[in-house]
Amino acid sequence: MTDHGSTEGHSAGNGVQFTFDGQIVRARPGQTFAGALHDAGIHTLSRSFKYHRPRGLFCVTGRCPNCMCSVNGEPNVRVCTRKPAAGDVVKPQNAWPSVRFDIMSIFDKMHRLLPVGFYYKTMHKPRFMWPIFESVIRRIAGLGEVDLSNGGSEQYDKLNLFTDVVVVGGGLAGLNAAYAAAEAGADVILIDDQPTLGGHVQHDPGSIDVHELAVRYQIMAHPRIQTFVSSTAFGLYEENYVAVQQGNRMIRIRAQQTVVASGGWERPYVFENNDLPGVLLASGAQRLLQQQGCKFDGPIVIVTDQPIGYRLADQLKQKGMHVAALVDLHDQPQGAIEGLRVLAGHTIQAASGKSHVTGAAIVPTRGGTMQTIPCQWIIQAVGFTPATSLLYQSGCKLKYNADLDQHQVTEWAQGVHSAGAVNGYHEPLVCVKDGTRAGLAAANALGLLTTDLTKRLTQLESEISQSTRDCKPTASYISNSKDKKKFVCICEDVTEKDLCDAIDEGYANIETLKRYSTISMGPCQGKMCQSASIAICARHKGIDIEAVGTTTSRPPEQPVPLGVLAGQAPHFSLIRRTAMHHWHEEAGARFLDAGTWKRPERYTDPHDEYQAVRKGVGLIDVSTLGKIELRGPDVVKFLEFIYPNRFANLAIGKVRYGAICDEAGILLDDGMICRLDEERFYLSTSTGNADAIDSWFRWWLTAKPQWDISMTNMSTALSGMNLAGPHSRDVLRRVSTGDVSNEALPYPSVKLLDVAGVPAIVLRIGFVGELGFEIHVPSQYGLHVWNTLMEAGKDFDIKPFGVEAQRRLRLDKKHLLPGVDTDALSNMYDADLPWIVKLDKEDFIGRWSLNRIKERGPKQKLIGFKLEGTTVPDEASLIVKQGSLVGRVTSVRYSPAAGSIVGLAWVPIESSKNGDIIDIRHAGQSLKAVVQDDPFYDVAGERLNS
Amino acid sequence: MSLQLNCPNCGVRPVWEFHYGGPLKSRPTQDASAEAWTSYIYHKPNPRGDQKEWWYHRSACKLWFLAERNTQSNNVHTTQRFGAEESK
Repeated sequence: MTDHGSTEGHSAGNGVQFTFDGQIVRARPGQTFAGALHDAGIHTLSRSFKYHRPRGLFCVTGRCPNCMCSVNGEPNVRVCTRKPAAGDVVKPQNAWPSVRFDIMSIFDKMHRLLPVGFYYKTMHKPRFMWPIFESVIRRIAGLGEVDLSNGGSEQYDKLNLFTDVVVVGGGLAGLNAAYAAAEAGADVILIDDQPTLGGHVQHDPGSIDVHELAVRYQIMAHPRIQTFVSSTAFGLYEENYVAVQQGNRMIRIRAQQTVVASGGWERPYVFENNDLPGVLLASGAQRLLQQQGCKFDGPIVIVTDQPIGYRLADQLKQKGMHVAALVDLHDQPQGAIEGLRVLAGHTIQAASGKSHVTGAAIVPTRGGTMQTIPCQWIIQAVGFTPATSLLYQSGCKLKYNADLDQHQVTEWAQGVHSAGAVNGYHEPLVCVKDGTRAGLAAANALGLLTTDLTKRLTQLESEISQSTRDCKPTASYISNSKDKKKFVCICEDVTEKDLCDAIDEGYANIETLKRYSTISMGPCQGKMCQSASIAICARHKGIDIEAVGTTTSRPPEQPVPLGVLAGQAPHFSLIRRTAMHHWHEEAGARFLDAGTWKRPERYTDPHDEYQAVRKGVGLIDVSTLGKIELRGPDVVKFLEFIYPNRFANLAIGKVRYGAICDEAGILLDDGMICRLDEERFYLSTSTGNADAIDSWFRWWLTAKPQWDISMTNMSTALSGMNLAGPHSRDVLRRVSTGDVSNEALPYPSVKLLDVAGVPAIVLRIGFVGELGFEIHVPSQYGLHVWNTLMEAGKDFDIKPFGVEAQRRLRLDKKHLLPGVDTDALSNMYDADLPWIVKLDKEDFIGRWSLNRIKERGPKQKLIGFKLEGTTVPDEASLIVKQGSLVGRVTSVRYSPAAGSIVGLAWVPIESSKNGDIIDIRHAGQSLKAVVQDDPFYDVAGERLNS
Repeated sequence: MSLQLNCPNCGVRPVWEFHYGGPLKSRPTQDASAEAWTSYIYHKPNPRGDQKEWWYHRSACKLWFLAERNTQSNNVHTTQRFGAEESK
């Protein structure tokens, strides 16, 4: 299928131009930035994290940190796997004034100041100096900078896919696994992190026939295989859930079976100055040579203990390049090529050179005279570390195999298979077989195999078990010299000496060693340093590699931009709008987000809206409240159990304020409970808790199946609006045929009435402290009823009011808002709602705890306070007593009705009596407030009852 | 967490459609000891192994049901409706 990009290497054509650090560079068609930069003779691409040492192309597979540059402002781009577009601007990072001459490379000479774990040892004394040191360290140590100038205009999105089999890795094993599974009838998704499929075989075909390779590419035309290249699988989670990054997109794949054919990471050899530009991994050099069409000018020294070293020498010679010597770590040469100088039983001790390799210091492995071979390139081929991160993440068990010198899967997680180099097979034909086996095994687990295919699977399993794993490691891949600049971790500039020092300081466990030295915590996430760090740890402690263990592998396997994880197109976020939303918009409302709801915060000046309610009439949209209807013979039993209140005695047509607490007595929510009939109740919850209370009710209804109750959530089926103010009855009268007099509909009561020709539930309640009616109607008619009320209210100068005015109005009455004035530690007594708690009821949620709280006595209390003066303290201002923090303000506003600033605050019980003075801290000032028991407005409640 | 749960109403769905409701516990009677109540309210058994627990299909059918899950492997062995024989 599509989306697999170009499978060709370099080819003819005009190519594109880009700039690197201001210099114009031309790339041939098919070339990556790296190939073009190499051709242009630009070999220093970055400066190292800590010492600012020059760094150049090293792995050329998008894993090591050396080629990270900023491309058009995007930081930390591995330019070795990215193809340029015309006019791209590439800038080196972490260097000043330029990557060729970086002033901060002075730190390379000052490494004594920056020993392992330096941030624990130096620079933290004297304490006041730390912020200065910190800002300096942050400036010198680091990677790219996020470009904020484009204002976060990057677009990110998510793609969710479902498939039978996902194959991670498009090398020989992965290609064959995908093909085998697809041929057996499975839908397959194939993921590869490189721009082209084929893996190592593209640049190191070994025994694979080129024609055979071409056939393999035909696999990609298979109708049941969907392929994604330049896509990194960075997480393998439970039940075969794979997270993939493809540019700015995150692909989430739910598969039935996963084949991990992730291959291996070539392991670096650790020697002096092993980070110099000009030192490369063999597979990186092969990529440049075979895929990018690059040349290596000047003599080359190859260091190897693998057949791949000899194959590389052959490839180089065939292309006319000068291999000065091949250093074979084995005493017996592993191969022979005509005219090639082989130094068997030798090893490399050091690379010489300042900004690029000029020579290689070679010594016999058993000791002896050192010789220096002048060269410009040192290419190392000392084997592969299996790329096991995803296997670890999925829960596979791995064990160290000393013969192969690598960790191997011994127990596979459910639905997870591994194939190819990750299993230790490097011989191409064996990888083909092992891939086919894994693909068939996955199809077999799906029940797709015919008898013939089952036979084929069994046959392959037996053939593979007899084949040898051909990774031939030597005893060591660390040179013996004692120099300080032998880099194990090139991401974080951690040397062998740093690791040994850390172990000597007591960080001997591989997990603590990692955290203290920061090894494997850089951009490569241990791909370059895992094997060597474990080997050094084992050698320095004198224990077996198996006893060292490995660090835990966690997602992401490769660094992922946060935008890929978090970002999504804005139109995918849930927004809920009430039936009257567009009216509010037209009226110029400013909205606030209440969960997913949009609510009008204000239309004009909240002060005018406030005065309209106090003096005339106002209308607020309360459609966002949770609304629940309960019917059945056991509803009273249920309410008596759920609420600390009493409801058995609530008469039909009456309304009661109720608060819900949990078993610990902590206030969860409040609302109005209406008895519409003997067995029919209607209740409201606050906007923010509507879903939580819905779920809470359903849980208890599930747990009490003996109760005969049916529950209907009416939250979005009904619109709600609150008509409040001295003239509210006059307005309602004009639009309702029902009797809304004080006698027929007294405070607090409920009636089913006809409002604007629509059947409505009308609650006579007064959250804002005035005569008021809350009208709930089917939401299809919400806008109609709203418009009718606004029209009828014209003569009374009706005003819509928003959440801000409502907050001021309710504060006058000391009505608390759960979650604003209370938190997860506010119990019913402390929240000043003791009158709600009926401990004489036999059982209800929270009874046991509330009983204990009552016996113990309250320790703090939510009180009202009045504050003289004009300075309104911030909400969440602290309350101080004798120099100690004792409480906090939860709500505060200027109250026109009280003529002063009023608020709610949590204070210790000894400061909570009427008339007590509390000390509120605001902007360094001390404000004295007086505790008040009574509401700040209409103490007798005359206006509510009018 | 990317496990899947088999909702008794809707079938197999990813875990993010659900809300975890804690381990299945038996609610003490009002005259039970302080230990029994504090344990019920505050103590989470947090076993390493199988646990019977509540799950809520928040994003779909809104059913509370029980699942038996291995807390170490996150394998969900069974899911079932809360039966009449069990009590909270």
